[in-house]
Amino acid sequence: MMRTLRLAWRLLHRDWRAGEVQALLFALAIAAATTTAVTGFSERLALTLTQQTTDLLGADLVLEQSQPIQPDWLARALNTGLQYTRAVEFASMAVADAGLQLVSVKAVGVDYPLRGAVRVAAEPFGPEQPVVQMPEPGSLWIESRLFAMLKLQLGDTLRIGEADFTITRVLGFEPSRGGNILNLSPRVLMRLEDLPRTQVIQPGSRVTYFNLFAGTTTDITSFRDWLLPQLVDQDRLVDARTGRPAIANALDKAEHYLGLASVVAIALAGVAVAMAARRYSARHYDVSAMLRCLGAVQRDIVALYLLQMLILGLGGSLVGAALGWLGQLGLVQLLAGLLPLTPPPAGPLPLIIGVATGLITLAGFALPPVLRLRQVSPLRVLRRDLAPLPARAWVVYGLALLTLLALMWRYTEDLRLTLSVAGGAAASALLMLGLALGLLALLRRLREHLGATWRFGINSLWRRGAASVSQIFAFGLVIMAVSLTTLLRTDLLSSWQTQLPEDTPNQFAINIQPHERGPFADMLRTEGIDSAPVYPVVRGRMVAINNLPVRTAVSKEAQDNNALHRDLNLTWSASVPEGNRIVAGDWFAATTSALAEVSVESKLAERLAIKLGDELEFLIADQSLKARVTSLRSVEWDSFQPNFYMIFPPGMLEQFPSTAMTSFYLAPDRQAVLQQLVAQFPAVTILDVGVLLGEVRRIFGQVTLAVEYILMFVLLASLAVLFAVLASSHDERIQEGALLRALGASRRQVRSSHFAEFALLGLLAGLLAAIGTELISALLYTQIFHLDYHWKWPLWIAAPMGGLLIVAIAGAWGTRKILSQPPAVLLRDT
Amino acid sequence: MTNRCLMSAHHLSKTVPIQSGSLTILDNVAVEINRGDSLAIIGASGSGKSTLLGLLAGLDVPSAGEVWLEDVCLSTLDEDGRARLRAAHMGFVFQSFQLLPSLTALENVMLPLELTVSKDAMPQARDWLERVGLGTRLDHTPRQLSGGEQQRVAIARAFATRPALLFADEPTGNLDRNTGARVIDLLFELNQAQQTTLVLVTHDSSLADRCTTHLQLDAGRCVETRA
Repeated sequence: MMRTLRLAWRLLHRDWRAGEVQALLFALAIAAATTTAVTGFSERLALTLTQQTTDLLGADLVLEQSQPIQPDWLARALNTGLQYTRAVEFASMAVADAGLQLVSVKAVGVDYPLRGAVRVAAEPFGPEQPVVQMPEPGSLWIESRLFAMLKLQLGDTLRIGEADFTITRVLGFEPSRGGNILNLSPRVLMRLEDLPRTQVIQPGSRVTYFNLFAGTTTDITSFRDWLLPQLVDQDRLVDARTGRPAIANALDKAEHYLGLASVVAIALAGVAVAMAARRYSARHYDVSAMLRCLGAVQRDIVALYLLQMLILGLGGSLVGAALGWLGQLGLVQLLAGLLPLTPPPAGPLPLIIGVATGLITLAGFALPPVLRLRQVSPLRVLRRDLAPLPARAWVVYGLALLTLLALMWRYTEDLRLTLSVAGGAAASALLMLGLALGLLALLRRLREHLGATWRFGINSLWRRGAASVSQIFAFGLVIMAVSLTTLLRTDLLSSWQTQLPEDTPNQFAINIQPHERGPFADMLRTEGIDSAPVYPVVRGRMVAINNLPVRTAVSKEAQDNNALHRDLNLTWSASVPEGNRIVAGDWFAATTSALAEVSVESKLAERLAIKLGDELEFLIADQSLKARVTSLRSVEWDSFQPNFYMIFPPGMLEQFPSTAMTSFYLAPDRQAVLQQLVAQFPAVTILDVGVLLGEVRRIFGQVTLAVEYILMFVLLASLAVLFAVLASSHDERIQEGALLRALGASRRQVRSSHFAEFALLGLLAGLLAAIGTELISALLYTQIFHLDYHWKWPLWIAAPMGGLLIVAIAGAWGTRKILSQPPAVLLRDT
Repeated sequence: MTNRCLMSAHHLSKTVPIQSGSLTILDNVAVEINRGDSLAIIGASGSGKSTLLGLLAGLDVPSAGEVWLEDVCLSTLDEDGRARLRAAHMGFVFQSFQLLPSLTALENVMLPLELTVSKDAMPQARDWLERVGLGTRLDHTPRQLSGGEQQRVAIARAFATRPALLFADEPTGNLDRNTGARVIDLLFELNQAQQTTLVLVTHDSSLADRCTTHLQLDAGRCVETRA
């Protein structure tokens, strides 16, 4: 074994010096680097997002209760090693000289929050800064709009219950805000120690106790699993896993894209590995024959090349994984200004996955051609024309396809995406093979009408037959992969940009009373501010599905769903609101309005297993209202427009007391308008979601960069294929070119005939790529990414022309040796 | 078979299928080679010389007939069995040298030694290269050597395992007259010193004359055998 290892190493070392293995290594390294970088980056992105979520929660896990925590629960948490702090939230009247205002007070311990930070500003509506210290006992921090509402200034006194407090800071944001963000009174932060003084909390008061826990993932999970079965109706447990619908949509698409693009990169690297391995194998027939002649048995040959593959595989994968690791580090550095936090370092898993991917790619794509070497006859030392029988096609393609499917599945964790991409790719591959043959035959018919150079190029392509078709196919695949990932990137990014344009609403106005609707809208108009439509809002709770109480009608897992435990905002509309899309059933017909129908948001319907035709019962102001589900809607939660789980047709809800809501964009220099609005419509609550919007924009920025970054790997992998394909016919071309020159062809003639041949190869490949891209993108856009699909005419020019130029230039560069060296030298070397 | 006889072949034929039926390359040939002898297989191009050499060396299998190396019948062995036999008993020198282009001269000579679990492959290989006059060219790759030098490396490689039987296929075919003569001198000199049995394929009658026995082929048939 040592002997074979030594020999394997020595032969490989010499091959390296002779430049025989670089193409294989390059392709392998790209596969490993892509995997490591994408896995590492995704992991860090996920960790960052979790961290952002926990920062919003103020903890890793929050238990919301209507009474103080049970002592044994707390004891369990502390024994598990978790950090703990609590906050108490209640509604109370705040009294100032100028009047009263209902506020939402949160009393916190000195070590609040456990994750993230409270943000404060030096003046109302001023820029916010995170702080570590909580309010001193006896002092209050209050929200900007409360300053305007009660005409307060810093240093003024405000009374809560029976106690007076000094206002010391402007409260911007504090973590663990319970309930619906749109239903909050102005917020006030104080210390827990001051709570008894206020005498606000009496038996029967509506109080929410926030129990905040932090610790390692294992400890948190163990505590959470222990706690869950013991929760009662009013208890609510929230952790980072509880969805973030505001950005889920964009992240879903980005994750799909990252997964898909990395699989494309790996598939391309796989093709490069396969082509490089085939060439490597072909160039080692003589070595194998000689070794067999000198007495090596088949086992020796297999061991020798397997060891070489293993060394190459480990080398390429390790180098690739290391580069990928550095790459994702670089990306994090690049994003340093963008990320709100330094992402926690990714674990060693991405490195392991990168190396494993490299080895699996090598095994799947390179093993069949390399194992052929054991079948080389020793007689080849006497008769050079003896080549081993080719590996069975189904073994080669089957193994490669299986490898790809496995990698793709592992990557996307989405069987549907995997199968649709694999199916689409396989169908396109067959179609492209057929088309490549057809186009080649067509060219052959046309050649009589073309000049000598082009005729020579066409003849040369036709003569190489199978090799030409496989080259057209491989180049086509490269151009298709690049076109597809580039197009998808552009359309994804532009869909995000249109989703959150410059003037995306950053203010929500809620609790607009019916008589204020007109004047409020008028005032916005006078100030020149565009707003979203004003939607009526009726508060109601869903109590039954198909006459079964919701608690029994939904599955055990769905019982946790927040929508079942609180009043929902119900609205009515004659048309489908912007950003909503009907995914099942039909929108209310104009003639059927006022019938008992309801349109339900599709994700909620899915979680609660609500189907078209189900009857939902709502309790609105002590009255019951039943409606049949006639449509399901997908909703862009990240659109910053008012969005609703339930929409009714006009005529059903008007009888109930309602308020209204809208959203609008306020430029940073127009904050004064806010104060006017608050003064003129004191009952209307205006919420500044600029911070949240900024956060969503930042996340879009992050995923945009990630998307661009992964595209770079696809391009690199394409480069690997390009060179592997050119190398596959390199020897033959050099020999032919040298012969032509020896027979008297001028350098110009050889150069133009090569150019013609490569240009035709590139042109045909580009044409095929355009067809394939159009087909696959139609599938991907409509089925996976939910983007509008349209015919892309520029592709039909860019792909063939790009193919022509790139392949012609790369081809000319690859065969420049023919022109630069004397034919005699070339003929002797080949 | 006498004790002196190292290799023999009986009724050896080789036919290959072609489009219009089959083509007989070798037809009922018999060979007997004694230990320490040198046999020249001569004939025009296409007479079946290299095919016969391939069959004798176990690089190929006959369509009919048998090849014996001492008391082992090559036809009873599979390809791996024949490979082991080659490793243990045979050496080769080819017209096109057949050195591995990526290995140095020293590494090329070490190759068969390493295949036979020889512990001191490197000193032995170095020693052999010195004996063929290439002691100063150990680290040169075949591309850096002339044709004559490459063939001397091939000779060193062939003798390095001290084979009982050495096959040489047109060893001077790619060399000029003077270089060829020097290479042949070296080959016979070493053959003599090592007591190796030599099977030499050539169309050069003067070269054949230096061998103890001759076998002349014409269109796959043996037309003359003389000692």
